Amino acid sequence: MAGITDLGVGIGWRSEIDLTVERLPGVDFVEIVAENIHLGNLRGDQRSHLPESVRLLLERGIPVLPHAVSLSLGGADQVDLDRVRHLGEVAEAVGAPMVSDHVCFVRAGGLESGHLMPVPRTKDALDVLVENVKLAQRNLPVPLALENVAALLEWPDGELSEGQFLAELVERTDCWLLVDVANLYANARNIGTDPERFLDEIPLERLAYVHVAGGEQHGDIYHDTHAHAVLPEVLGVLDELCSRVKPPGVLLERDDNYPSDTEIASELAAIRAVVDKHRA
Amino acid sequence: MVTPMTAQGTQLSPVEVGYLSAGPGRAAETALARLLDAGLVRVSRDGRVSAVHQHGHRGNTPVEARMHKSVQTPVSFNKVVKTAAYSTEMQALHRQLLNDNLMRKARPRAQAWWVFLGAGVLLTVLGFLLPGFFIGAVAFLLIGFWARGSSPVTREGKAVLKNVTASDRVLAVALYGFAGNVASQKVGDLFELSQSVVKMIPLKRKKKSAGSSCGSGCGSSSCGSSSSSCSSSSGSSCSSGSSCGGGGGGS
Repeated sequence: MAGITDLGVGIGWRSEIDLTVERLPGVDFVEIVAENIHLGNLRGDQRSHLPESVRLLLERGIPVLPHAVSLSLGGADQVDLDRVRHLGEVAEAVGAPMVSDHVCFVRAGGLESGHLMPVPRTKDALDVLVENVKLAQRNLPVPLALENVAALLEWPDGELSEGQFLAELVERTDCWLLVDVANLYANARNIGTDPERFLDEIPLERLAYVHVAGGEQHGDIYHDTHAHAVLPEVLGVLDELCSRVKPPGVLLERDDNYPSDTEIASELAAIRAVVDKHRA
Repeated sequence: MVTPMTAQGTQLSPVEVGYLSAGPGRAAETALARLLDAGLVRVSRDGRVSAVHQHGHRGNTPVEARMHKSVQTPVSFNKVVKTAAYSTEMQALHRQLLNDNLMRKARPRAQAWWVFLGAGVLLTVLGFLLPGFFIGAVAFLLIGFWARGSSPVTREGKAVLKNVTASDRVLAVALYGFAGNVASQKVGDLFELSQSVVKMIPLKRKKKSAGSSCGSGCGSSSCGSSSSSCSSSSGSSCSSGSSCGGGGGGS
């Protein structure tokens, strides 16, 4: 992918911790939630509409990657081109080499789920997803990477494993993969999938970067909250991934209950240690 | 942090110093400064305050603990201060300062106090021409001084304040507010707060005739808004109309 060879270790930029992100040592790149960025009427300098902190990071030369949560590419409806256009505009405003969203749907029949819902892993569902991804790609100025989600359920009559499903998606759309190792761990805990099999089945050469996040066990369910510390087991999945491929980037996602700057820095350091172990 | 002490040897928290210095608004600012200093809250560029999640750390005083609880989801800088200034915990702090004889129920300043005082002075001058005016002069001067109101801070409270210096950044907020200056440096800068954030707290209005105590003269989010504690006893400088705002600082 043009411009992306080594992103390094990054963190999700959130307005609540903007100064923390700016001050943290060793932040090589950041990700912004595209839906939280409002660019105005687009006349004049698009960057002037970006949050001051994001502009500052860009001035420092830190790559900023837009991450979307609302395209609903796995939905039965055609992807909303207004949302795609917005994602593309954000990408251009920050000069991003790529954008991303999830392999999921978030609305159906006019209702918003409020969650990233897993797509049925059937050939029919894959056809719908492929059409939407291709349509989005045609309307985006940069490549699109797609992320595996954490699921609390599996739809019945699945024909493909998650890895096979994503592999075929990549083959048919030439999209990139954003692998969330915390979601792999969550799925292993909640629905018994095998992260190693997933890593065996996906085309790792199409790996754009990796997400790492924290979560918490509630009763029988592991919740991928992004509001708790990263578990050693999640870093274990990252370790497994890094043993197979050198990821272009690894990013820590934290969306709530933000801990101290020191704690965030130590989580980034732990991630970097796993990545560097395999680089050495 | 050097903690100020009363004549009886009671230690005062920085929040109490803030209250004595300029009322509940300043005390609220000081509580926020304490939380920032302890790394228990963070402030974003757009001035939203949010709790830093650390198990078991909630702040040293009830006001700080209440403030920490109020920012579990981000709240704007000025609203954090205003909410704390109005809180029951702040009213309890005020009662404590009254009980400790560091504050007293302030006598509100009458709007026309200066008229009585002026008339007293005029009658005094006339008294040199016609001694009978001296009687009226004394009466008007007495009424004038009475109508001028009284400081809510007692002599002991003022004595404590006199010995407090901005020996650290929290006490700098207690004495001068985030918008104030200490040693030619902006107090907000000590916390790496941008001026746009600091200015979210409304500046106090300096008003010569500070009506009912600080109700009209201390129009910041702090003093002027905190009716219960303010009307009876805002900051020491409040009733003198010179510098009252918790929000204003800069004394």
